[in-house]
Amino acid sequence: MSGFPHPVLWLWAFSVVVQLFVLALLFLKGNFRKLPYFTGYVALNICQAGFLLFVYVHSWSNPATPGTLAWTSECITLVVQALATTEILEITLRPYQGIWGLGWRALTVTSGIVVLLVALAARGHWVAARWFELDRGYHLTFAAALIACLLLVRYYSIPVPSAYKMLLGGFCFFSCTEIIVNTLLQAYFQRDFFLHAAAWQLVSMSSFVVALFVWAAALWKPLPVENRQAASSSDAEYQRLSPQINEDLRRLNEKLLRLWKLEARPQ
Amino acid sequence: MNFTLILLMSFAVLILFLLVWALRDPRKRSRSDGDLDSNQGFGQRHVSYFPQVRQALAAEDFAFLSSRGSRELTRRMRKERRKIALAYLSCLREDFLKLWRLARVIAAMSPQVGVAQEIARLRLGLAFSLRYEMIRIQFFFGFAPLPELGSLSDLVSRLSIRLETAMQNLGERAALASRLASSLDDGHGLDTP
Repeated sequence: MSGFPHPVLWLWAFSVVVQLFVLALLFLKGNFRKLPYFTGYVALNICQAGFLLFVYVHSWSNPATPGTLAWTSECITLVVQALATTEILEITLRPYQGIWGLGWRALTVTSGIVVLLVALAARGHWVAARWFELDRGYHLTFAAALIACLLLVRYYSIPVPSAYKMLLGGFCFFSCTEIIVNTLLQAYFQRDFFLHAAAWQLVSMSSFVVALFVWAAALWKPLPVENRQAASSSDAEYQRLSPQINEDLRRLNEKLLRLWKLEARPQ
Repeated sequence: MNFTLILLMSFAVLILFLLVWALRDPRKRSRSDGDLDSNQGFGQRHVSYFPQVRQALAAEDFAFLSSRGSRELTRRMRKERRKIALAYLSCLREDFLKLWRLARVIAAMSPQVGVAQEIARLRLGLAFSLRYEMIRIQFFFGFAPLPELGSLSDLVSRLSIRLETAMQNLGERAALASRLASSLDDGHGLDTP
C-alpha cells in the first residue's frame, strides 16, 4: 500500500466516499428497488475497495499474487457492471417489446464482432500485460454494445428519462476513458509501463469519480415511476404494414433513381 | 504508435461523440428532419401542390418563349424553373422523411420487430437521401423531367394515405386498449355471459 503515491491514495479514498454517497442516495430515495443490480454494482465496488486494501496491506510470499487477486476482483465487478447496464436498458425499453428484442440481437452481434476484433488485435502483443489487454477488450465491447443500443433508441425516437440517460452515459464515458488511457499508456510507456502504473491509476480513478458524480446527480431525485405504456399494436399489423411500406419506399427510390438517370442524360 | 492503437483510440473517441449525439435531447433536433409534430398537419403535404408546380414548369411556356427568340427571358425562366424544382424536391424529401419516421413509430409500437424489414427500410432511407442529394446537384446543371417528378409525387402521396389510415387504426386500437385497461383498474371488469 505504501508503494502508491499520495495523490493515488487520496483519490482512492475520495472515490470510496463518493461511492458511499451514491449508495446512500440509492437507499434514501428508494431507487434501490428499481435498480437492484445497479445498487449491487455500487455496493460491490465499495467491497472491492475494502478487499484491495486487505490485498495490498498484507504481505504475500509470491509478488504476483496481489495483482492477480486485484484483477480477479475487477472481473467480478465488470460482470455486475454489464448486468446493471442491461437492467437500465431493460427498464427503458420494457414498454417497447419489439425494439427490446431487436436491441438484444444488436447487443449480441455488436459484442461478438468487437470481441473478435479485440482478440485479433491483441494476438501475440504485450503478453506481460495481458490483464490490461483484457480490461481494454472488455470496455471496448461494453461501450460498443451500449452505444449500439442507444443508437437504436435514438433511431426509433424512444423517450428515455434523463436520469436513465445519465446513468448509461456515466457507464459509457467511464469505458471510453478506460480504452483511451489503456491505449495511450501502452503506446507511450510500453517498456517501462509499471513505472507509470500510478499515472494509470490516477487517470482511471478520476474518470470513475466523474461517472460517480454523474450518477449521484441522476439519483438525486427518485427515479420516474414506470407508468409509460406504449400503445402497442398487434403483431399482425406490423407484419402486414412493414413489407408494404418498404415496398413503397423501394419504388420511391427507384423513381428517384430513374429521375436521376434521366437528369444525367445530356440535353 | 502502431496502426492498431490508433484504430482503438479513434474508436473510443468515435463512441464518445456518438454518446453525446445519442443522449442529446431529441427536441433540439432540426425541425426539417421530418418532424411529425410540426405545425403542418399530416393531411397537408407538399406533394399535394404538384399541379401548381407542374403548371409553373409547363414545357409549353418554355417552347413559346424560345420560339419568340427572347434569350434573356428564356435564361431567366430556366433559372426560375430550376429554383422551383429544387424547392419542390426539398419539400418531397420532407414528406418522405415524415413518412419514414411514421413507419418507425409503427415498428416501435409493434410487439415483434422483423430485423430484415427494419434493415431494408434503413437501407432505403439512406439510398433515398443519397439519390436526393445527387439529383439536387444535377438540378444545378440542368432540368429534371416533369413526368418523373410527378410520378414521384404520386408515390409519396399514395404512401402517406396508406400510412395515415394505418395510424388511424393504431390510434383506435390504442384508445380501445386504454379504455379496457382503465375499466379493469376500476374493478368493473369485463361483462361475461
